[in-house]
Amino acid sequence: MNVIRRRGPRVLGAALVLAATGLLASGAAGSVSSNSKAGGTLTIALAEDPDALDPTLARTFVGRMVFLHMCEKLYDLNAKLQIVPQLAAGMPTLSPDKQTMTIRIRRGVRFNDGTPLNAEAVKISLDRHRTLPRSARASEISPVTAVQVAGPYTVRLSLNARYSPLTAQLADRAGMIMSPKQLTALGDRFASNPVCVGAFRFVSRTAGDRIVLEKSPFYYAKNKVKFNSIVFRIITDTSARAANLRSHDVDVIDRIASTDLPAIQRDKSLRVIKSTSIGYQGISINVGNKNGIGKPFDNVGTPLASKQFVRQAFEASLDRNVINRVVFGGTVVPGCLPIPKASPYYDASIKCPGRSIARARELLRKAGATPPVVVKLMIGTDQVQARLGQVIQSLAGEAGFRVELQPTEFVTALARQDRGQYDSFAVGWSGRVDPDGNIYQFVHSKGSLNNLGWSTPRMDLLLDNARKATSLGARKKLYSSVYRILRAQLPLIYLWHPVNRHGVSKTVTGVQTYGDGLIRAYYAELK
Amino acid sequence: MSYVEAQPLSGRARRRRVMRRRFLRRPAAVGSLVIVVLFVLAAVFARWVAPHPPGATDFDAILASPSREHLLGTDELGRDTLSRIIWGARASIQAGFFATVLAMAVAVPIGLVAGYYRGRVDTVIARITDVLLAFPFLILAVGLAAILGPSLLNATLALGIAAVPPLVRISRGEALELREEDYVRAAVANGANDPVILGRHILPNMTSTLIVQATLTIPAAIIGEAVLSFLGLGVQPPTPSWGVMLNAAQPYLNEAPQLAIYPGLAIVSCALAFNLLGDGLRDVLDPKTER
Amino acid sequence: MAVFIGRKVGAALIVVFLASVVVFAGVRALPGDPALAYAAEDRNPEVLAAIRDKYGLDDPLPVQYLRWAGLALQGDLGTDSRGLPVSETIVTRLPLTLELAGLALLIGVLVGIPAGVIAAVRRGKASDYAATTVALLGLSVPHFWLGLLMIIVFAVNLGWLPAGGYVPFRDDPIGNLEHMLMPALVLGTGLSAVLMRQMRSAMLTSLGADYVRTARAKGLSERVVVGKHALRNSLITVTTVIGLQLGALISGAVITEQIFGIAGFGRLTVDSIAQRDYALLQGVVLVAAVGYVVVNLLVDVSYSLINPRIRVAGGRA
Repeated sequence: MNVIRRRGPRVLGAALVLAATGLLASGAAGSVSSNSKAGGTLTIALAEDPDALDPTLARTFVGRMVFLHMCEKLYDLNAKLQIVPQLAAGMPTLSPDKQTMTIRIRRGVRFNDGTPLNAEAVKISLDRHRTLPRSARASEISPVTAVQVAGPYTVRLSLNARYSPLTAQLADRAGMIMSPKQLTALGDRFASNPVCVGAFRFVSRTAGDRIVLEKSPFYYAKNKVKFNSIVFRIITDTSARAANLRSHDVDVIDRIASTDLPAIQRDKSLRVIKSTSIGYQGISINVGNKNGIGKPFDNVGTPLASKQFVRQAFEASLDRNVINRVVFGGTVVPGCLPIPKASPYYDASIKCPGRSIARARELLRKAGATPPVVVKLMIGTDQVQARLGQVIQSLAGEAGFRVELQPTEFVTALARQDRGQYDSFAVGWSGRVDPDGNIYQFVHSKGSLNNLGWSTPRMDLLLDNARKATSLGARKKLYSSVYRILRAQLPLIYLWHPVNRHGVSKTVTGVQTYGDGLIRAYYAELK
Repeated sequence: MSYVEAQPLSGRARRRRVMRRRFLRRPAAVGSLVIVVLFVLAAVFARWVAPHPPGATDFDAILASPSREHLLGTDELGRDTLSRIIWGARASIQAGFFATVLAMAVAVPIGLVAGYYRGRVDTVIARITDVLLAFPFLILAVGLAAILGPSLLNATLALGIAAVPPLVRISRGEALELREEDYVRAAVANGANDPVILGRHILPNMTSTLIVQATLTIPAAIIGEAVLSFLGLGVQPPTPSWGVMLNAAQPYLNEAPQLAIYPGLAIVSCALAFNLLGDGLRDVLDPKTER
Repeated sequence: MAVFIGRKVGAALIVVFLASVVVFAGVRALPGDPALAYAAEDRNPEVLAAIRDKYGLDDPLPVQYLRWAGLALQGDLGTDSRGLPVSETIVTRLPLTLELAGLALLIGVLVGIPAGVIAAVRRGKASDYAATTVALLGLSVPHFWLGLLMIIVFAVNLGWLPAGGYVPFRDDPIGNLEHMLMPALVLGTGLSAVLMRQMRSAMLTSLGADYVRTARAKGLSERVVVGKHALRNSLITVTTVIGLQLGALISGAVITEQIFGIAGFGRLTVDSIAQRDYALLQGVVLVAAVGYVVVNLLVDVSYSLINPRIRVAGGRA
């Protein structure tokens, strides 16, 4: 009995020890307070965890938000989505044959480790973007064949073809310049401690939890930067994100879901900043991707793939306004083109058709397809995608389509899309400033992301010419023809443009968002 | 017929009468049986019991309040909540039932063998069970869903696998005890071979424990199915299941909490009924525990 | 005694090894090209080939396994798709789950054990029925639903507690407990229900035993009798239940962390599968399996220390 009494409390103590260990050890896990009222820290809740914080390898939308605050680029966008110089000293100059671009670099700029920004550093970064084996930027600036240092603050890019979208690409990750010193030190592991030019610099990161930045003492516009640090917290659940904003545990949140919007709008201590995305969401249809991306096209034989009338019927059975209302509570912008109305390349003469069951049934008859026409639709696994899928199922069902939903996790879905193992996929594109960035890679025969297995020679020609043309008017005309072909053939049914709504606490000013949907808080401050 | 075999038979029939009487005397047990039967009937005859088809959307009546047309209101796509709850019982009870059957079919023979033969066999089985236990059921389910794709079938599989180790332990324990019983020793002395002993003497005497365990495993599996569907790993929309309904309700916690309350109550009442039933059965069937 | 522990440790090591093989094979069984996890929007075949080369994804499986296992033994679990060291992620996120589990265990013990004792002592009376029914309810409520309800009531409507998230204890002890209260309650409910029922059952068995009657007859006060048995039974009960419920606790932690937005270890397991981040997934599941085995080992050893009969008979946990 004595033995037991001695050992008695021990097991019960185990619980206490466990808890205590956790409590104490958790102190080691990040000691930056998440409350903005303490010492000038701005807390931003992101909807997803960025991938590698390496500009050459990064592919996520949220990654771009983090980069905005710690990794400046040659060019940037302004509120009107016009390209303006950032690390460049001015807009680039092109040679008469448009195949040589000269960029002057800003002087007196230092990286966040104190080393100077110069032409040599720019060349190193651009070369890395072009040539690193895993580079995600290579296809974005593929026409660039060489980068030369033409002076201590001048670089010259040689292109093998005319390429109007180049400056726009340099206004994104392809134009981000990394510290050569850090590149030499870390090489492939640059993402574990990235150093660029930025208002803030990288401090630490816990996967799936947070990214911590602090004000950079080397920034060329230091006095514009008010906060001491920025913490990006990863909160993937939309209602949790909204709840955190309402309880003021975070100051800014990325993308408010339509179901959380009413409560945030009712809250007088919060405001919503919004912008219509420059991207789109819709349904990609596998027409000819039988053997995988990059392989020759071969019609897959599904009802949707075999006849364009079936695709048109499918579109006619859908009601973009119902989708907007029921799935998104009326918070998105219905559309039927790959670019939004605000784009200078939009063609207002193309009207989006309303729903017509009669027309849908007529088109199915024309195509010789007897209901039920089976459509397998791959969707994502979150609740919004589930609602979308079921609404499409219901709407198309009335016209004689039997939609079978295939909820698939995102990475797997992308893989399936590439291998051609899908019939249709509800997917979108975050959008690029230049319409080429929203269209070319998907529907050009040489497009790097053409997993639809569809192209036409006329489409190829129009897109190639649009790349080479330099005047807005000429390009507009070309893209209008592109849109008409897309509307007739419907390899992609464009359904809506997201409206990026971010929530901001009224205690903070200076947080903005442009059409690209990214949160810009580098010069924000407490009220 | 030897003296040894005659004893258990008539004893069994006598015991059954006693058990039935004891069961009927417990209101909680009877009540839970009624509720369980109701749920099962609703699940089986959903097509006739439910007032609306579970997939009938009505985009002009989303998130409607309760009315004569829709006794519990409608959900985010205008579907009748009550009907979806009734149809949801199907998926949940199916998962609960089949996962339990699967688990028992696998665990009981293994446990029997481990408990009866002991020694090397027992050790090997113990190790395998340990490895299985080292992977929490959720990891198993997520992994299975990732490999085979999410579906009710795969969720049931995962639930069944997860329920195996505890059932192995219990049947092993029972076998260990029962092998020491007099009539078993007598049968061994009489020269009966192993399958006869296991099948005639040990297994039948485990049935009461196994029935109780089954009745207690089912509610755990029902809740497990809800968890998996909630995480998107089980039943896929638009098929209704209580877990799927809870998943869809999550974004609406602020604006329409009732979407989360009804399916949850359904799970609780169904699981509680099975648990009470299992408890009642244990009181009645298992004379060992002093309750 | 040493032999006994040695045997147990040996068994545990075997289990760990088998578990590591299962983890490794399981991850490889996931459909899809592992290289894709490192390459999202742009799926250039040359890029994928370069990735496969860099990570040795084309080497024969046993080679890959040995490479991974060898590094793992040195504490290097590789780098995830974000370029962050896996071991660092685990070390940073594990304490949150430990704290959650520990608090849940505490709540479970503080609520379940006394309730079980009371129910046993007052068997058949109102308090017994009440406690038993509440315990059954605790077993019948899906705890993630409970969590959602608690968020609706306490965070959204009443605003008493935060809706989720986490603050390190060192920074803000009160805040930390505020954030952890609901998650721990949610996770501890099921545990307290199980503990209560086991405790009650164990107490009833031992209180009805012959030598207890003898002790009572001898004149020892009721309190002493109950107290002694309560103590011994609570140890056995808690240890047994921990052993059986550990897996459930981990699974529960996963969902609880999901609902309350706690970036703990539980969520890491599920997220890494969803993101097909194989390096992370392997490291995480391995650590989980090893942790489980270790805890179980401790439970086994302490159980046999408490109850020497088990050691001799070969165990009947």
